[in-house]
Amino acid sequence: MELTRKDRRIVTGVWLLSIIVLWELLSAFLLYVVQDNMASSKLPFPHDVLMTFISEWQTLLVAGIVTLSRAGLGFAIGGLIGIILAVIMSLSKVAEKIAFPYLIVSQMIPVLGLAPIIFNIVRDMNMSRIVIAAYITFFPVAVNMLSGFKSVEEEKKELMRSIAANRVDIYLKLMFPYSLPYLFTGLKIAAPMAVTASILVDMLGSKSGIGVKILYSLYSSSFDIFWASVFTSAFMGILSYNIVIFAERLMIPWKNVTTTKVGDK
Amino acid sequence: MRERIMRFFWPISFGILLLLLWEFGVVHHLLDLKSFQLPVPSEIATSLFENYKQAFRDMFITVSGALIGLAIGSFLGFSIAVVATIFPKWGFGGMILVTALNAVPIVALSPIMNLWFRTGMLQKIGVVTVVCMAAMAINAYYGMNDLKPFSIDLMHSAAASRWLIFKKLRLPNCLPNVFTALRINIASSIIAAIISEYFATSTAGLGFGIKDNLRKAEMAMGWSYIVVASLAGVILYLFIVLVERDVIKWHASQR
Repeated sequence: MELTRKDRRIVTGVWLLSIIVLWELLSAFLLYVVQDNMASSKLPFPHDVLMTFISEWQTLLVAGIVTLSRAGLGFAIGGLIGIILAVIMSLSKVAEKIAFPYLIVSQMIPVLGLAPIIFNIVRDMNMSRIVIAAYITFFPVAVNMLSGFKSVEEEKKELMRSIAANRVDIYLKLMFPYSLPYLFTGLKIAAPMAVTASILVDMLGSKSGIGVKILYSLYSSSFDIFWASVFTSAFMGILSYNIVIFAERLMIPWKNVTTTKVGDK
Repeated sequence: MRERIMRFFWPISFGILLLLLWEFGVVHHLLDLKSFQLPVPSEIATSLFENYKQAFRDMFITVSGALIGLAIGSFLGFSIAVVATIFPKWGFGGMILVTALNAVPIVALSPIMNLWFRTGMLQKIGVVTVVCMAAMAINAYYGMNDLKPFSIDLMHSAAASRWLIFKKLRLPNCLPNVFTALRINIASSIIAAIISEYFATSTAGLGFGIKDNLRKAEMAMGWSYIVVASLAGVILYLFIVLVERDVIKWHASQR
């Protein structure tokens, strides 16, 4: 579309503002017209939630960082496993034939459903958090990376071979740079999921983290903290996605240039 | 023919090997686990066989909730994409918000839906709806607007109305993306339904079954629920893939 940057900002701003206003109206409707005595828990006023944010920002930040850092560790490990797996599958046809169907099936297994079982096996909150986040991350990374490797034209590989480049060189100088955009597609899918996994493990019986805060505030009926925690976890998901986008811009500076030139945007 | 046999031979033999290693304790030995922590496949199969009625009843509850949420959510998401395409300027901002919604963790939605809805079924449908809506809206919007260069110019040059452009160009163009979204949604709807059952007040469904059996230390039963959940996911996934193959035969990804 022919939207300028400024236009985009205005449009998004108006949207946000109108949603907040609508929310205020709905909360007021629930509280004063329907006279629902659960109104403040079902749909609190946005400004109330904001006030809670301001008064509780420290504990929320600490809890958020605990959850996010563990998600990040599992995310990094899972990403690494995914890349290694993709390299192995691109090197050996047999390995690909063995692994690929299982990759698809492993995606169908409700991984987050496995959370209590994994917790039962490793018996350690941090460990199971990392395992689950890694498990969730490796699939989209491996699949996307592999399709990146496969989309390298044969001519390019032949050119590398014709100048006597060895396998390591071909991977380092051709395959990896070429499939970076694919890798980031996978990472973008995985990042919010890793955060979700981390929060879920929080809820299943951890001692610290944002998930614990959500559950405890819910049990103790302190709904203002509950809503502030829910919003924090939503921000964490969005943040993780944006961190990946930021890393993508840093590592693939050429991508933005090409996408703005090609196509009708 | 040989090619086809080999295609199945490798993965299946690998799977059998893995099951055997698991059955005869090699996996336990490697990971330093006791058999009560990780039951062996034969135990899981027996407990599934003994309790299959209960397991399938729970599966039915979870899957029906997931499918209803999937249908509502996908419909809403598609409608959002259509509206955003009709009003490009304002629709763009709306899509940014939907993208943000996509990053909201399922586990955070679940308690909110608990507050809003009384029954476990409605709560489950609510969670699944929100999860599926975002993925469908993003993919469909992308498909409707990521057109081949000049195709829209061609439509304009033939004096096509906006409705005609939508019907003949945008709609067919977004079909592959819609199916991608459906495939994503099948997997995530079942996961979302199971997770919402962890926190729901209801006492039925796969999520409740997994949690309850683990609490009672019935590990084999918990695992058989996982098997049932995966089976449901795989069957639904295959169903979507088959429909997709039929509907978008013309697309490059199907050839």
